[in-house]
Amino acid sequence: MFAGIDVGSRTTKVVLMGDQQIIASGVIQTGTSPAGAAETVLHRACEQAGCPRKDIRRMVGTGYGRVSLAFVDKTITELTCHAKGCHFINSAVRTVLDIGGQDSKVIRVDDDGNMTDFIMNDKCAAGTGRFLEVVAQALEIDLDALGKLSLEADRPCKINSTCSVFAESEVVSLLAKGEDCANIVAGINRSFATRIGNMVKRLGVSGEMVFVGGVAKNHGLVSALSDYMQTHFLGLDVDPQIMGALGAAVMAQQLA
Amino acid sequence: MTFKVNQTIQDVHTNLALSLEMAKDEGTKVVGCLCSYSPTELILAAGAVPVGLCGSTQDPIAKAEEILSPDQCPKVKATFGRAISGTCPLFPLADCIIAETTCDGRKKMYELLARHVPLQVMDLPQKPDRTAALAHWIAEVRDAKAFLEAQLGVTITDDDLRRGIEMGNRQRQLITELYYLRQHDPSPIMGLDFINIMTQLRYYVDFERYIRTLAEFRDELAQRVQDRQFAYPDPRPRILWTGLGNSLGCSKLLELIEDSGGVVVCQEGCGGVTRTEDQITLADDEDPIVAIARRYLRVTCACMTPNGQRFEDLERLIDEFRIDGVVDLAWQFCQPFEIESYRVRELVKGKLGLPFLHVVTDYSQSDTEQLRVRVEGFMEQIAVRN
Repeated sequence: MFAGIDVGSRTTKVVLMGDQQIIASGVIQTGTSPAGAAETVLHRACEQAGCPRKDIRRMVGTGYGRVSLAFVDKTITELTCHAKGCHFINSAVRTVLDIGGQDSKVIRVDDDGNMTDFIMNDKCAAGTGRFLEVVAQALEIDLDALGKLSLEADRPCKINSTCSVFAESEVVSLLAKGEDCANIVAGINRSFATRIGNMVKRLGVSGEMVFVGGVAKNHGLVSALSDYMQTHFLGLDVDPQIMGALGAAVMAQQLA
Repeated sequence: MTFKVNQTIQDVHTNLALSLEMAKDEGTKVVGCLCSYSPTELILAAGAVPVGLCGSTQDPIAKAEEILSPDQCPKVKATFGRAISGTCPLFPLADCIIAETTCDGRKKMYELLARHVPLQVMDLPQKPDRTAALAHWIAEVRDAKAFLEAQLGVTITDDDLRRGIEMGNRQRQLITELYYLRQHDPSPIMGLDFINIMTQLRYYVDFERYIRTLAEFRDELAQRVQDRQFAYPDPRPRILWTGLGNSLGCSKLLELIEDSGGVVVCQEGCGGVTRTEDQITLADDEDPIVAIARRYLRVTCACMTPNGQRFEDLERLIDEFRIDGVVDLAWQFCQPFEIESYRVRELVKGKLGLPFLHVVTDYSQSDTEQLRVRVEGFMEQIAVRN
């Protein structure tokens, strides 16, 4: 058995793998103790798998908190791990869009699942999960409800700002004008999709594309992005949020 | 000679200020410079000491933001902040400053800086290939010479200019030789140590002593290559650095690259080898001002358009230094280097097929971990290829 642990800025993910298949996985909030969160989620995954932790032959850590994982055999960036994880799920994937809590990445993948190029957002949380959290908070709705709500929009608002700090005041001023929540969220998704879509175009789309990371669970955003980019994302039969951890588990297996 | 610099940039400045003060007591004049476009030959010809006054640290930025908006590049803010905060020991020692209209941020900041010190802004034409550009720039160099003569109370003769050119050429020759000693694989010195030493050395009072130190450093590096005494035991990916330069005080990205297993062996761009390998050639009957002007107009900063020479140089250096990957730095809000980066990517990634990393950052440490992900991801790409 092999383990991949992805300690992200907002959530910590783990995947346990056998020779060819995912045995167990888990996601929890990273909170204030990255190492503690990793221990907890790993423990739960072992329970879920019904295997003791000593059965794990190798572990790879990834994500922003990877340096806090004293017990892993190796740390690898989430860029390479996402490439490997997506390749494992579908070897036709050549472009990966990953949007997490505090950053967004576009990753180019070759025939063997190696990362060959990437770009990321710089020095700004626009176009990341954090932006959507702020919007959900301002609208007093659950983050998970955002995507569904936007699909009910009949007349999406025009929103130009993608700044996470100013998003709240923009949302509040739209509410003050009497705008409908669903239309506001749909507008937010469109502005988000424009920013991210342009980032993807900067690297260039080639081959099949997948959208992963926690933000990929937002269906409204997925459809806004598909509309803006006039392309479709490959469907995944696993949780898009665990793709980095999955790639780490795949790498753990491949370590000599 | 030890290759480790333990001083901070502030220590270097303070030490230089002490020596400069003594020299000034004996009548030496000091001229501040801010860019690769500053024709230092004019300053050397005037018998003055050129001193770089560009800011490279985070500290003075808060002071600068009392006047400048925060949305300016860190170099503009740090340079201005150093000058007005009274924390830079060098700034008050400058008798005057020579500056250039390289970019809008600098140009407009200089209007405010000129309130604190006599300052000549040279109007730099930005389509250098046009004949009219050279004529205009020659006139600007002449004006700068007249400005220095007036400020320093000297007359700069053609013989002085020829001497200045000869001094500038000796300096550039030595620095170029130093750069090329890192062509050896493995390199005799880490990129960070090299940059730190070069930063420290370029603050000098006595030009001849500076030249001797450069020569000693060159001989030492050459000896190490000969003795097969290299900076690292195992092979490291060889990185070319382009875009804006790092120096002592703002080297976080360079540190990350070498911490992640790489070695920076070549620099192109601000402070790089292309700023020194281009010498001033002067025919016997040629006006030295024209020769100086011609050379400085060839500098390939991204403020120039279309700046094709930079791309020819990049391709040549990638080959000469057997480069495994290219890192391209733009300071935040530097539009010229930021936009030109698209073409650098096209060359490095598209034409040459090498791993390429473009980074936008500032002088603060706040994004170190985000940058580490990018740098490690870049190194992982190289590892897969090798």
